[in-house]
Formats: sequence, structure tokens, C-alpha cells
Amino acid sequence: MIEIGVDIGGTFTDIVLLRDGEQLHRTKVPSTKADPIAGVRQGVEKILAATQVSPADVSRFVHGSTVAINALLQQKGSVTGLLMTRGFEDTLEIGRQKRSRMYDLFLRPETPTFMAPRHRRFGISERVAADGTIVLPLAEGEVHETCECLVDELGATAISVCYLFSFRNPLHEMRTREIITGMYPNVQVSLSCEVDPTFREYERCVVTTLDAYLQGAVGDYLERLGHALHVLGFRANLQVMQSRGGITTADTVARRPVSLLLSGLAAGVVGSQFVGVRAGCNEVISLDMGGTSCDIALISAGKALVANESRVAGLPLRAQMIDVNTIGAGGGSIAWLDDAGGLRVGPQSAGADPGPACYSRGGHEPTVTDASLLLGYLNPANFADGELSLDVDSAKKAIARIGERLGLDPVRTAAGIHRIVNSKMADEVRRVSVQRGYDPRNFSLLVLGGAGPLHGGAVALELGMPRVLVPEAPGVLSAFGLLVANIEHDQSETFAARTDELDPGSLEDTLERLNARGKEKMRRDGVPVDKVEIHEYADMRYVGQSYELTVALSKEDRLQRAVAAFHTLHRTLYGHSDPGRIVEFVNLRTVHVHRLPPPPLRSGDVSVARGARASRSAYFESLNKYVDTPVHDRACLRPGTVVVGPAIVEQADTTLVVYPGQTARVLPEGSIMLEVEPHGG
Amino acid sequence: MEARALDPITLEVVRNRLDAIAQEMQDALVRSGYSNIIKEGHDCSAALFDCNGEVAAQATALPAQLGCLPSAVRRVLQQFKPESMSDGDVFILNDPYDGGTHLPDIALIAPVFHEASVVAFTACIAHHQDIGGKTPGSLPTDSTEIFQEGLRIPLVKLYDKGTPNAVVHAFIERNVRIPNIVLGDLGAQLAALNVGKARLITLFEQHGTAQLIAYMSELLNRAEILTRRAIEQIRPGSYSFEDYLDSDGIDADRLVRIRVTVTVRSSDLHIDFNGSDAQVRGPINADKAAVMSAVYFVAKAIGDPTAPNNGGCYRPITVNLPEGSIVNPRPPAAVNGRTITMKRIADTILGALVPAMPQKIPAAPSGLVRVLVFGGNDPASGRTFVCTDFSTGGTGGHPQGDGVDSLETDIANTMNMPAESLELHYPLRVHRYVLIRDSGGAGTHRGGLGVEREIELLRGEATVTLREDRHRTKAWGLYGGEPPPFAHAEIRHLDGSKTVIPSKGVFRLLAGERIHCWATGGAGYGDALDRDPGVVVQDVVDDKVSMESAADRYGVVGIDRGRRIYDEAGTKARRQAMRARRSPISWTYDRGTRE
Repeated sequence: MIEIGVDIGGTFTDIVLLRDGEQLHRTKVPSTKADPIAGVRQGVEKILAATQVSPADVSRFVHGSTVAINALLQQKGSVTGLLMTRGFEDTLEIGRQKRSRMYDLFLRPETPTFMAPRHRRFGISERVAADGTIVLPLAEGEVHETCECLVDELGATAISVCYLFSFRNPLHEMRTREIITGMYPNVQVSLSCEVDPTFREYERCVVTTLDAYLQGAVGDYLERLGHALHVLGFRANLQVMQSRGGITTADTVARRPVSLLLSGLAAGVVGSQFVGVRAGCNEVISLDMGGTSCDIALISAGKALVANESRVAGLPLRAQMIDVNTIGAGGGSIAWLDDAGGLRVGPQSAGADPGPACYSRGGHEPTVTDASLLLGYLNPANFADGELSLDVDSAKKAIARIGERLGLDPVRTAAGIHRIVNSKMADEVRRVSVQRGYDPRNFSLLVLGGAGPLHGGAVALELGMPRVLVPEAPGVLSAFGLLVANIEHDQSETFAARTDELDPGSLEDTLERLNARGKEKMRRDGVPVDKVEIHEYADMRYVGQSYELTVALSKEDRLQRAVAAFHTLHRTLYGHSDPGRIVEFVNLRTVHVHRLPPPPLRSGDVSVARGARASRSAYFESLNKYVDTPVHDRACLRPGTVVVGPAIVEQADTTLVVYPGQTARVLPEGSIMLEVEPHGG
Repeated sequence: MEARALDPITLEVVRNRLDAIAQEMQDALVRSGYSNIIKEGHDCSAALFDCNGEVAAQATALPAQLGCLPSAVRRVLQQFKPESMSDGDVFILNDPYDGGTHLPDIALIAPVFHEASVVAFTACIAHHQDIGGKTPGSLPTDSTEIFQEGLRIPLVKLYDKGTPNAVVHAFIERNVRIPNIVLGDLGAQLAALNVGKARLITLFEQHGTAQLIAYMSELLNRAEILTRRAIEQIRPGSYSFEDYLDSDGIDADRLVRIRVTVTVRSSDLHIDFNGSDAQVRGPINADKAAVMSAVYFVAKAIGDPTAPNNGGCYRPITVNLPEGSIVNPRPPAAVNGRTITMKRIADTILGALVPAMPQKIPAAPSGLVRVLVFGGNDPASGRTFVCTDFSTGGTGGHPQGDGVDSLETDIANTMNMPAESLELHYPLRVHRYVLIRDSGGAGTHRGGLGVEREIELLRGEATVTLREDRHRTKAWGLYGGEPPPFAHAEIRHLDGSKTVIPSKGVFRLLAGERIHCWATGGAGYGDALDRDPGVVVQDVVDDKVSMESAADRYGVVGIDRGRRIYDEAGTKARRQAMRARRSPISWTYDRGTRE
């Protein structure tokens, strides 16, 4: 069996090919921004040639795509119309009336009106009450006229429909779609009762309208990619990664494009999850630090956390997504002084252009990368796979400029920049772990990205995390994640019921209905019924609260156990629970999973440690001086090798710093495990 | 206390950590709260205090509460020596004449212990859905004494060494309309305090008591320095300005004046409220903590946005609050409606600063946060309900762009209530919630639009409290920018007749009756005849500006909405003629009262 995974990143398109679950081949080609499919074609042809594989023999082709997130960020979605209950035409624009920049006097709009500006938003006469009864029947004639105007005059190709209380009674939304498709079979329609059947009309409207807005870009892209693969001779169905970290077919995702939003990020987290589990770590926090930002995700019991509501590009999005948290801390983050002489780092970034001062591309601001270079962690002659040579003098000059005003020499300033950026990442790790009821000291830190392995040891030390895990090939972890991800489908429904007044039959009925939907999706993906695992969850809260906590439902004693689990979780998260209060259900969810067998371990030959091929002078704050530090080539480190810090391990796409007091060990499957001594390095 | 020399790097690390802890407290409060006003409205704030009672860090929450927690913590320290406190103590208060602000805002304060002594305080304040008194929701616009406004809680311990004070709990439970929800929200406040305490203790363990206290104190100094630097950029001098509220809720025909003289000297800012009206009979008197919140908001807004968010920002600011005035009333004056006064105080101070900070101050925002409180008994469930509904108008135009449609400004930042949330929980139906065309003041940079909201009572009868403003005065435009129209409101009866209602009042609503409010927009900035005609066309396409306004206010004619074009020559001629007809713009402010 031959499987291919393709992940498109900002700079490179990564391709991995797995033969019989054992032999892994990988390659990369530059991403082609104008038409990403060209890069995919190139990369696929390259790997097929290198492995002598015929496209017809490939049984799975899995893709992680940034098409959806790019369409959102660049505001290049479909011309979208929005139908709301009459009287609520401006819900998308008014939002929740809260500003995010509290003390700015010059305020700017914060709601996503670009998706459907006011002249493409229409009110339709209809009304469903809170209990689902119809108060005012749908004015079908208005739907007709409005859609004529939207499509014929305003050129809309997608329509979002978000009526009040459609999650209680979807009849009007369903009928609206019938009318639209009857008139315009090619216009894409997204219904709020299907995309996000839960209360709060603004939030539901945002995710539903985004779904419509992405229809064109995603549908067109997947169709062209499918066609390109067909032309190349592939016969396998195109599969894609969804935001929640599971795989589905391109056909399924084209119907719900908003589920593709974090496709690329999710692939990386699933890859991390796999590498962690394979190294024996089921509790992992992944930290992916690149040039401008750092993505942090939490994996517990071998499974990445999935959030029901996240913020993406400043928008509240109620869709199931891998719980990835991004902060503006990267290699390019700029260090600066405030007017009181305080040292700050980020969130401004020098990016790739002009980049850090040491790139000598016109950047003069001191960055985290400049500090890394001055501290001796980076190899000036060999950076980013030898594509760049770095100028130590420029870095030093830039850092000295702020150091003088601080009264610190350049080296201490550089070390300070590192401490600040490391503590920012540590704060974020605390936020995603402690605030969700997890203790980071029970987790391993898995580091990715160009800068992750350089900072990981220091971040773990600050957090008291015992281990840092460095994957063998951090660069292609996302592409690899595509091949090890499960096929997954999730479905949810509002289920408003107090646990003290519950009809147990209705709970079972709802779950059964959800499961029927999941089974149907699996059937479409060609997965046999007996190969599907079903997980059931409930969103619950105390009667009177409005934010829910998700608990897993057990097979037996469902109700009692769910209530008990809720009290426990509430106590864990908020420090108090109230067993005397009534608990209620809000939503039920089921997740259908088809687990793919994990690729077997590659048998690594244990070999003796070789000496370092070189050394250079590097500064460590705990030693308070520069020391001659051995530099190892990752390619030469065989499994079983132990490297004692201080040491540096270089490889094409990243640099690992082993801080004093830390010990790195190459694991049998190729990852490196860093043991962090508390109070060391 | 002996501390090692401070290291600038650790200082920054500590700053980030303190901010993160305050934010985590805030999140815990919102996410475990019970009332709509907390969980949807986010009308609550959490903060950390150092052992001297200065704000060490605060969550990005509600500026209206900035001044309230410092006042509460000061009050605690005045009565209780830290040595007399125990771990697990939690103090409670709400009396505006004794450390609190208005009665619905209950403050909880807990000492944080490390190595057996008090090293800091965690505190939070939350607006409770009801605290008793004459109307459901405890915001009566017709109260004339604080005794009508609800339960006054003097400074007492709500928890003593971790043991709940059953007497205080019983008093609260007996005096509010919806005890379950009020006690639930107090639990959420406790959760916030606990989260903050746990995180702070870890931080003290990490750095050591003396060292961390030294860093916290240095962060206060830094914030002061940054704020002083910002004040030094302001043109020195004394600047006076006044603005008005419609009425006090009792004497319907009398405008209420706020007057300030802002004096900028070197890095000091003094705000004198001399000339403001004497305290009024109605409940819009602003207690000192409330006034200070508005002052602190301005200090943050004109200060350095990167300054640590702590009490150091306030050190350069002094105020004079004449006793017995609207900004420093004597007990037992009613104060529950002071939020609207705080908004006008912020408007007035910013207005005074216009000549001192050219190009830095926007035209006035709508100047109202519209509060509606519904209370009654739902015949369908037999349960008593109280709920609050917020909406707001547009923001002011500014030198860099238009105002924003319906967005909270200055001291306010509460969220609106989803119609679906109101209807799921209360016998209400929202019929309209849309932007109002032509409600933003015209200008080179137009004011943001206001918003209209119409709500029907479905069953039984209810008491409705309305509190807003700008029915009789207008937000001021700047440099030729125009004011928005007045706000207004009415009740529609079953027979189709309508009653126009004032900006503040308590009304009876019967099943089937509707209350309908039009919150106005923000004022404009700069001459409307200088507005890019293409942008005016876009406004007309989006129906934010009418064809008539485009011609009469902006001088843009011959607009074809479908093709998005206008008559260039005609527009040029019309603008020329309009300019010739009026005098050159020599004024700064326009409240709509110029001839």
C-alpha cells in the first residue's frame, strides 16, 4: 500500500510518501503562491520519480490546505449575500458592540462586514419563537425577490441564511434553501441550522456566513486539485485534513468549507500527537515557533484538545477546531524599549523581509534571531538549509543600541531578550494548560518550527516541564501528520434538558440520530461500519450559567456519571463546584472515528556516540559566560546517542540547543528527547 | 525590606505574568457566572493589588470599574490591619458612601498570604442583576435616596478563614429578588479570587517575597513615568469645557451640567470640577469612585498605551470634586444611575483637551449606553425574573477615519444581549435590532450609526426601567463635523397608540406592549463638504446615508446606486454654492446649537 501526504506551507510544499506503512520518503518544493496546485503537481511528480511509484498504485492521497484560511485573511471569498430574520439585517455588523482595544480613542470596526456588506444583507419576514413554534410563516415571495436582486443584480454566488431560532425549528431555513436552489442551482447556500445549530445569533451568523463566503474558493480549489491529480494518473479519492484534526473526503469538506479553516495547523498538531505517542509521551504540549508567531497546542491522553469555539483572525468562530493558540513571538519578533526604559519583545515582527538585522537585508531592529546569533546558538555560515549567511556584527550593533540605554552589555541584553520571549511563551503554555485544568509539569514539550528547538529547553525549564521532545524531521511533520490522522466525523445538536427532568428516551433518540448522521458520512468515505469507533459527549452547565463544559458520556449509567463528571470538571477549572445545583444538558455531540493502523516503528541501529564535528563559543545565562560548546550534526547522531549540555545540534531546518544541565538522547525512532533538570541551565 | 538589585529583564517577565493572572481571574468570573449581565454583558472586573492597596495589574475589562476596586481595597485597609487578616478571609462591600460605587456593584477582596504574611490582594467587582430596592434590577431612575436603591452592604467578611459567613449570606438572600442568581454570581467572584490567589502564590514562591514586592513597586513607577511622558506632550495650560445630561430622572426639564477645567502643567494633570451642578434629586449623582473611573479612563486613553496597566498610571492625576456637587454628593443622595454621568464626564474631559491635543481627540460618541431592565413574574413558569438589556450608539469620527456603528466607547464596554438569549430565558421578544440610517453626524469623517431596538413583553406584566441620554442635548462634532440627531424612545400600546418616553424612567409594560428605542450615532469630524464623494456614494449604496442627506449635508448629487456613480460636475457646483452660503468654519465644537 502506498500513501501520499501533501502539506502546503508559506515557503515550502512538503510531500511524504509512505510505502506499506514502513518506508517513509520525503521531499519539498517551493510553494507556488499564485497557484498552489502547480507546486503540488511538481512535488508529487518529484517524489513519484524518486520512488519509482506509479500514480495508479497510490491508494491514499491526503492533503492539508491553507486555501480556506487564506481566503479569509486576504478577504477573497465569494460574493456573499446574507438573509436574516427581518429586523436583524445588521446583526453581522453590530456584533456584540464590545471593542477589543479598550483605550484607543480612534476606534475601528471589528466585525466581518467584508463578507456581506450592508447592501447584500436582507431581512426576510418570518419568525420562529424560542420554543420552536412558528409565529410568522416564511414570506416565500420575499425570498424569491431578494434572491433575484442578490444574484442577478449584485452578483452573489453564495448565500448565507441565518434566521432566529432555526436551531429549534429549521423549517424556514430549509424551505429557503429549496427556493434558492430551485431558482439558482449553482448558488451555494449555507444554513445556520446545519453549520452551527446553537444559540447566540451573532456568533452563529459569523460562522455560517464564513461557510458561505468560503464555498467558492474551497470548492473551486478542491475540484481543480482533484482534476490535476486525475490527469497525473491518480485513482485514489482526494482526502483532506479538517480543522478538528480528522481526515475526510474532499467531497464532504466541500459541503462544509468552514471545517477546512485550520487544516494546515491541524496536520502539524496531529503529527506532533503521533510523534509524542511513538516516543512514549501521551501528554504533550506542542510549541511551533516560526519567524513571526508561535502556535501552541495541548495533547492529552494521546489526543489533541478540540475546542468548540475559537478566535481566528479576530473572529469568534463556533466550529470544532484543534485548540491551537497563537501568540506573536517568533524569531523575527523585535526587541524595543518603552519610554520608561523597559525592555519589550514583540508583538511587532521584522518578518522575513527585511527580517532580523543579521539577515543584512535592510533590517536594523534587533530581533530574537539576532540575539540567538550573538549568543552563539546559530551557525552564521549555515542557516535555513544554507540559504542565508548571518552577519554577527549587524546583530551585535542592533542589540548594543538598546543595551546601552538599559545599561547592559550586548550579551546580557541578548540573554534578556531570550528570557523575555521564553517567558511569554511559558505564559501562553500556562494559559492553555493550567486554565484548562492541566498541570504542564505532567507534560512533555514538543518543539517544532525553525526556532522551537532553540528555545524549548529554556521554556520547559521555566515551566518545570521534565522533557522536551524534538521530532526527527520537524520540517515535514505536518505532511506526515496527514498520513497518521484518523478519519473522523463530528456531529452535534442542541439538546436543552435539565438532568432532573430528563426523559432518558429523548437522550438516546438524539444520540441515535447523531450517530446515524455520522455513519452516513463514514459510508460515503467508504469505511465499513464495524471499523468505526463512536465517542459521545455532552456540553453541560449549571442551570442558569451560559458557558458549557464538555464531558464524555459513558455507555452505562450515562446520566449519573455525566453529572458527576461535570461537577468534578467545574471544580478543576474554577476551584469550586456546587453539587446542590441542578445540571443541564445544552448540546450533544458524537464523534465517529476510523483509526488507521499506525506505521510500525522503524528499527534504528543503536550505535556509539561520535564526537562533535565542531564547536563554537556560546553564552549561557546559568553559567554567566561564553563556553566552548560542541556542535553536532543531527544526521550523524544515531539512535542511543547521548549528548550532554551545553551542546548544539544542527540540522537543515532547525537548531537544537541543549542547555547546561540538560541531556539529549536520540530515541530508537529518531526523535531526540531532552531531559530537563530542574534548576539547571 | 532588602531586595537584590532589580533586573530589567525579570521586570518585564513579572509584568507579563501579573497581566496574565488578572486576565485569568476575569475569564473565570465570566465563564462561571450565572446572570446574563455577567455572562453575556461581561459587566465585571478583576484586578491584583499590592500590599499597599495600589493596583498591580488589572484585566482588560470594564473601565467603568477602574476606580471602584482601588476605593474598595483602600476601605478594607483602612479598617483591617494586614496582621489581623487570615488566609481564607474574603471581604465584601457595596456602599457607595463607604468604599463602594453603586449598590449593584459588589466588590470582593481577599488577602494573599505567603510565608505567613499578607503580600498582595486579589479583588473583583461584579454588577449583580438585582440588589433589592424599589425596582427589579435595582436601577430605579426615579429614586431620590440611596435607601430606595437596594441593600447596602457595609465592609464585612463574607468568608472568615474560609468559612462562609452565614449571616451575611442570609441577609443578601432575603433582600434580593433572585437570590439564586445573586449567590451564584458571588460564587463566580469567589472562583476568580481563588484562581488569582493560587497563581500569585506560585509567583511569590518563584521570586521570593521581598524581591517580587520590589518588582511590583517598580512596575508602578514605570507606569507613572510613561504616563508623565505622555502628559508632557500635551500643550500646557488650563482648558475648560462643559457638557450636559438630559435630566436627572426627576426634574424632567432641567439639563444637568458637568464642567471641568483641565490644567496641564509639566507632567501633572489636574481636573477641577468646579462649576458642575450641585447634587440632584434623581439618581445620576456620581460617587467619588465612579468619577475616578472616568478620570482613570482618560488617563489611560491619553497616556502611553504600552504602559503597564496598573495604579502608577493614575499618580500624575489630581482632582477637585466640590462637596455636595453632582460629582461628590452627600449621603443619602441617590447614585444608581451614575454610569451615564461617568460617560458624560469622560466626554467633558476629552472635550476640554481638544485644543490641548490637536488631532488626537475624536468627535464625541453617542454619549449613551442604553440600559433597559425588565422585571416581573412570568405567568408561564411562575418564576420571578430580572434581566438587563444593553445597547449603544455610534462612535465619533476622528482624523483618521469614520466612527464605528454601534460600538461601546470610553468607560463602557459591556456586550449586548443576544436576542436568542433574552427570548430563551425571559418572556420577551426582540423585533428589531438594526442600524439607523442618517444617525451619524456628517463630517469629513462621519460619526458611526446608532441603533434601534424594539422589544415586546409576551406574557404578564413587567416593570421596565429605561436609562439613556441625549434626548435633549447632542454629541459635539469637531472642526465642522456635525452632531448626530437626538436619541428617542417610545412605548407602543395594544391599541396601536404610542407614548413618547423620556430618556430616564420606570414604566409599566403589559403583555403585547413594546418598548422601542433609537440610540443615536456619533458626531462627525471635519467639514462634511470635504468628504470623499466616492465614500458618500458607498454610504448611500449601503443605505447608511440617505440620498437626501448625501445632497443636503455632503453636497453629493446625481447618485446612481446600481452603477455606484455620482454627478461630478453637479457635486462640485453644489458644494461650491453650499460653501458660499455659509460662513467659513471658525468654530471648534458643534452641539447643534449654533445659529
